[in-house]
Amino acid sequence: MANAEMEALDFEPEDDDLMDEDMGDGASSPNRTAAASIPRLKSAITGGGSSSAPKKTKGRGFHDEAAAETGLNARMSARFDTLDSGGGPGHERSVEGWIILVAGIHEEAQEDDLQNTFGEFGEIKNLHLNLDRRTGFVKGYALIEYEKFDEAQTAINDMDGTELLTRPINVDWAFSKGPFRRRDTRRRSPRGPRSRSPRR
Amino acid sequence: MADGEENDEFYLRYYVGHKGKFGHEFLEFEFRPDGKLRYANNSNYKNDTMIRKEVFVTPAVLKECRRIVSDSEIMKEDDNNWPEPDRVGRQELEIVMGNEHISFTTSKIGSLMDVQTSKDPEGLRIFYYLVQDLKCFVFSLISLHFKIKPI
Repeated sequence: MANAEMEALDFEPEDDDLMDEDMGDGASSPNRTAAASIPRLKSAITGGGSSSAPKKTKGRGFHDEAAAETGLNARMSARFDTLDSGGGPGHERSVEGWIILVAGIHEEAQEDDLQNTFGEFGEIKNLHLNLDRRTGFVKGYALIEYEKFDEAQTAINDMDGTELLTRPINVDWAFSKGPFRRRDTRRRSPRGPRSRSPRR
Repeated sequence: MADGEENDEFYLRYYVGHKGKFGHEFLEFEFRPDGKLRYANNSNYKNDTMIRKEVFVTPAVLKECRRIVSDSEIMKEDDNNWPEPDRVGRQELEIVMGNEHISFTTSKIGSLMDVQTSKDPEGLRIFYYLVQDLKCFVFSLISLHFKIKPI
């Protein structure tokens, strides 16, 4: 998966080329006609998109010229830092440990509930149980860091699909080494070489 | 929400920024359909430099991001009555979910007062809180993975 490795480390140069292709010298908004394809989005995400159905669009961003001037291309074409992990399939270790995502958490859950339940698998190095900014209740997810891979893996195996405070939770890894492919994605872009088709 | 949605495309990008005395200061993050999460934070204040991080998140994380978005019901809103971006700054929120694609732009929102006195307080409030929830999510992911304080 050498190409996946490249994707993880380099920003795709072809996206930048696409921006030039569609925007000319950048003075004209790529989103001038809503009826046309949405080049800015298409360049930021995958080539032809997975569905051939036209999308319902809404919002000023599609025809707001000033948006083009904020320099989206430049911002997105720069090099971004990663943790160098080779880019293959599989879970990625974070700087000091392994991080799992717990989803479906009861809105009145407290950190202690998570500590008690997930602390069984190993020492919890970090726990983020974020609140809904509007309601003040728990937003519904937590990120938990274990030092060791096995601790995290066991937590996932044992807790995924179980209940916490009477609600079913899902537990899985948070980070991956490379891109994932959705099952029914058709990556063949009519634009040919620009497509980010998976190279399996 | 229908099960089929999970296999539909999901993309999200948020930007907030302005150009001023300290250069182009901005915060931007992007969830791409293949799982790549990119985060950038730039300020020249006190000669600070750009922070740019990217990492692949798992489908579980994307699914949670989707849930946060769909629970907010932002996809039902429209920005045509929201304040336009101005010299103070701009925000951009672009989301693709299934067959819907929104691209909203507005000015910076200082506080709930700005929301309440706008022409579309209901919609803007949804945007305001969604952005905060997304920032929390992204900051947690980035700071945990890279062990930095991303702000």
